[in-house]
Amino acid sequence: MMNEIAKRSNKNVYRDGDLCYKVFAADYKKSDIFNEALNQARVEETGLFVPKIHEVKRLDDGRLAIVMDYVEGKSLAALIEENPAKRDKYLQRFIDIQLSMHALTAPELNKQRDKFMRKIDLSGLEATTRYELHMRLDGMPKHKKLCHGDFNPSNVIITADDRACVIDWSHATIGNASADTARTYLLFKLANDDNSAEQYMTMFCKRSDTARQYVEHWLPIVAASQMAKGKPEERNFLSVWADVCQYD
Amino acid sequence: MDGLIVQDDKSLDELIKRVRAAQTAYSTYTQEQVDKIFLAAATAADKARLDLAEMAVTETGMGIVEDKVIKNHYAAEYIYNAYRDVKTCDVVERDDAYGVEVLAEPVGVVAAIVPTTNPTSTAIFKALLALKTRNGIIFSPHPRAKDCTIKAAQIVLDAAVKAGAPKDLIGWIDVPSVALSSAVMSGCDLILATGGPGMVRAAYSSGKPAVGVGPGNTPVIIDSSADIELAASSVLHSKSFDNGMICASEQSVILLPDVYDKFKKELAFRGAYFLNNDEIDKVRATILINGSVNAKIVGQSAPTIAKLCGFEVPESARILVGEVSSVELEEPFAHEKLSPVLAMYKAKDFDDALAKAQKLVADGGYGHTSVIYANEIAAKDKIARFGDLMKTCRILLNTPAAQGGIGDIYNFKLRPSLTLGCGSWGGNSVSENVSVKHLLNYKTVAKRRENMLWFRAPEKVYFKKGCMPVALQELKDMGKKRVFIVTDEFLFKSGFSKQVSDRLNEMGIVNTTFADVQPDPTLASAKKGAEAMRSFEPDTIVALGGGSALDAGKIMWVLYEHPEVDFADMAMRFMDIRKRVYRFPEMGKKAYFVAITTTAGTGSEVTPFAVITDETTGLKYPIADYELLPKMAICDPMLMMGIPKGLTANSGYDAMVHALEALASVMSSDFANGMAKEAVKLIFEYLPAAYKNGADETARAEMAYAATMAGMAFANAFLGVCHSMAHKLGSYHHLPHGMANALLLEQVMRFNAAEAPAKMGTFPQYDHPVCLRRYAEVAEMLGLKGKTDEEKFEKLLEKLAALRKEVGLPDTIKAAGVPEDVFLEKLDAMSRDAFDDQCTGANPRYPMIAEIKQMYLNAYYGK
Repeated sequence: MMNEIAKRSNKNVYRDGDLCYKVFAADYKKSDIFNEALNQARVEETGLFVPKIHEVKRLDDGRLAIVMDYVEGKSLAALIEENPAKRDKYLQRFIDIQLSMHALTAPELNKQRDKFMRKIDLSGLEATTRYELHMRLDGMPKHKKLCHGDFNPSNVIITADDRACVIDWSHATIGNASADTARTYLLFKLANDDNSAEQYMTMFCKRSDTARQYVEHWLPIVAASQMAKGKPEERNFLSVWADVCQYD
Repeated sequence: MDGLIVQDDKSLDELIKRVRAAQTAYSTYTQEQVDKIFLAAATAADKARLDLAEMAVTETGMGIVEDKVIKNHYAAEYIYNAYRDVKTCDVVERDDAYGVEVLAEPVGVVAAIVPTTNPTSTAIFKALLALKTRNGIIFSPHPRAKDCTIKAAQIVLDAAVKAGAPKDLIGWIDVPSVALSSAVMSGCDLILATGGPGMVRAAYSSGKPAVGVGPGNTPVIIDSSADIELAASSVLHSKSFDNGMICASEQSVILLPDVYDKFKKELAFRGAYFLNNDEIDKVRATILINGSVNAKIVGQSAPTIAKLCGFEVPESARILVGEVSSVELEEPFAHEKLSPVLAMYKAKDFDDALAKAQKLVADGGYGHTSVIYANEIAAKDKIARFGDLMKTCRILLNTPAAQGGIGDIYNFKLRPSLTLGCGSWGGNSVSENVSVKHLLNYKTVAKRRENMLWFRAPEKVYFKKGCMPVALQELKDMGKKRVFIVTDEFLFKSGFSKQVSDRLNEMGIVNTTFADVQPDPTLASAKKGAEAMRSFEPDTIVALGGGSALDAGKIMWVLYEHPEVDFADMAMRFMDIRKRVYRFPEMGKKAYFVAITTTAGTGSEVTPFAVITDETTGLKYPIADYELLPKMAICDPMLMMGIPKGLTANSGYDAMVHALEALASVMSSDFANGMAKEAVKLIFEYLPAAYKNGADETARAEMAYAATMAGMAFANAFLGVCHSMAHKLGSYHHLPHGMANALLLEQVMRFNAAEAPAKMGTFPQYDHPVCLRRYAEVAEMLGLKGKTDEEKFEKLLEKLAALRKEVGLPDTIKAAGVPEDVFLEKLDAMSRDAFDDQCTGANPRYPMIAEIKQMYLNAYYGK
């Protein structure tokens, strides 16, 4: 009855006609599932094109699923892979979508700053480095922009009528857009796509008239936050990024 | 602190409570007690300098013990020496003559953020400043350096307590965290934040006043004129100091091409290691990570950093130098490096060097420090340009930056400090080196003092029948050779002015007469006169006539001596003539000014005032300045025998109002009052006679003197709102000036006599509403009887009204012939203009515009 369209270690995504089921593993934290649905519902209210949430429901096998609109289309990641010649154009579009998202706010979403503070503490870095990072975070400008938190080309679906739909809002917060940008840069780097990372950073800073140094200021923080995921293969790379200081 | 481990909000609250209690007690200590504690604390810190330096290096793994000893030693000795005799308690300044006292009070509890780079010296520095200023202090150490920072604080506290300080005066966070740092910042009274930009920003956003510092990116220019040996060794000495961990440290040297090789050779000879291209790339990749300094290289030695980068340098290498070309942020060498790594640039010329230095400062050192090596004499201009262009709060000349920026070692008068303010450029509230004054609240006790008053008059005032020829004789004696006579058309055509010119001719003094002066003299006429003066080149100006001719003469005098003046500026209103924004040009350099009055009224011959009308705009410029005071005044009654009846009445009554307004003025003085009272008496006595019988020589003479005396009174005490209103009534409705005053006087006197006015005039001498008494005194002088001041005042008003009638002046504005509809139509504008007249300021009662309007209405209808 349902077509599986994506499979991760702890969640599967199915299509059922016009609906999409995101089904979570049995041991998945219930609060995280509801939080993701709530995030997405809140973002939906901003008017941004996202899959509409219908319900969170318990399936017959006991697992929980978020039920939302199925949005027909191809991800930007897939499009880039299919048309390498158009890569620059797609990347530019990717940035424009991110910028239009940053122009929005959803005051009831979780605060990016709180999330970073929690993640720094869970980073496994030593206390003095964490102190430096907390201090750095404390001094960064506090904004209220809509941030995706996992903004990468596979999370942007381009529909047949050429509209862009942003999916997967489990990490959404409101906060500083440059932090969201730093996070996207890091995601490219972690995917070993240095070219895209550099190109993305350069184009983004130009497009948004942002100083690269300002985005770079967030890199130690997003790197430390990523360490909270505890992926051993990333650990060395991330700890170099996180262990920096700024004295007078 | 005793039995208290500060590790969470609860223990921090307890700490703040204890420190605050101790500080409250300490705030009552005397200067003597404080100085004793300051000495003991500085001594203890001084003794612990080596122990603390060793602790700091062991704990942080950064820097050099021997250099940290210098920092600790400096923090104790230089700070003590700088402030040992500075008053920081109670009265610190006193000026009895001006009645001013300045009291210094502690701010309370200071939150001190201490960095890892100077963990003990900064602690000593801040603790000593706090002790000297009777403040409590709580340290928020960096977790990497907490033990040594706490130890330093403990040593200072113990010594202070032993010398008599309250026991909990200095506290600290035992288990530092950003959350506790923020909590101590919001719980204290002032923040002394030395630390990374993050911490400084956090301090500023805590809502408490913060004295913070910013990052530095010190550029150094080595000019062609520099002493290369001195420059190279200085740079090396400073850059290697404590492994480059002082925020003022050199980050880049920019060389003029002709000294590049020589400097490089000298720097290498003294121990610098020059990186090859491959090594430069390796260093680039290591020192900076995504634009931030790699924590692993901070405060490490040159060989250690080389190892981290993947190559070897000799153990003797003191610093690593990278010869690079870009000053953009993409170049890691262009950043602050917090290590003995130095960038070296070759500039095309001095302009290019300046541009590079500016860019490096902009890259990350706004407000901090910059250095130039150049010959102080030969390169004076270059040094001045450098000083102009650098947006840094310390600009050092031929000095190692680290040891120079902290002050008082390599220079004088740059305050010794380990917290260097970076001004608004660096996001700081302080642009100087932080000192005791930043930890004090200064209270200024200003006692009420009266303003200085003076009595100014022309150096010579000639009076008595027939004094004019005698006075003119004096011009001859003074050696004057060319006299320019200013008079009006009537006096010229009637041959009146010939009395002056004939006399001058007799003495052989060349003279000419300018007679194109109309009533209400215009700027055009004054310019014409001044033009004539410029071609005649007089050494003396004689103005002859009534107010118009004398005022015109004064203005021509100004235009003759200072053709560049702008009357709109000169007419600027003032609250206090001595504080007016506009500075009047100095007069009398070209010509001596003599005023001969031919009417008994305006007083212009002895006043520093003149009114001129700009005929193109219709604006009247009242000009006032003591520079305008005639040098010689001649008041010869023989010149007044022919004054017509109407003018006698108008100008005589004008003189009466001058005297009465000077008496009522907030600036009235015993000196001016003497003149004014005598004038009032004489006018009452002789005006009717002069009016009725113009040939009465005695009456003419006494009226002449009365008018000049009244002039001298108001030249010093100024006038009041009666004149303000009369000026506008006269110009709006074309009434003679004296008559306008006469019509308004009673209303204004009643207004001024109020014992509970809506608003009083603002002047220290005028301490309470006292006008009724002053008017009563005038009545008493005139022998008017009454049981109360009110009765005497009413008698005085009756007498003034009787005089007005007697000399044929109307009772009301209406009776003076001003049509009601025209009067009412212009009333609001006239009232507003009258309020803004220069004369209003000296009035004893400050008028509301509506009150002026009501007085006008009363004077119109008679009430």
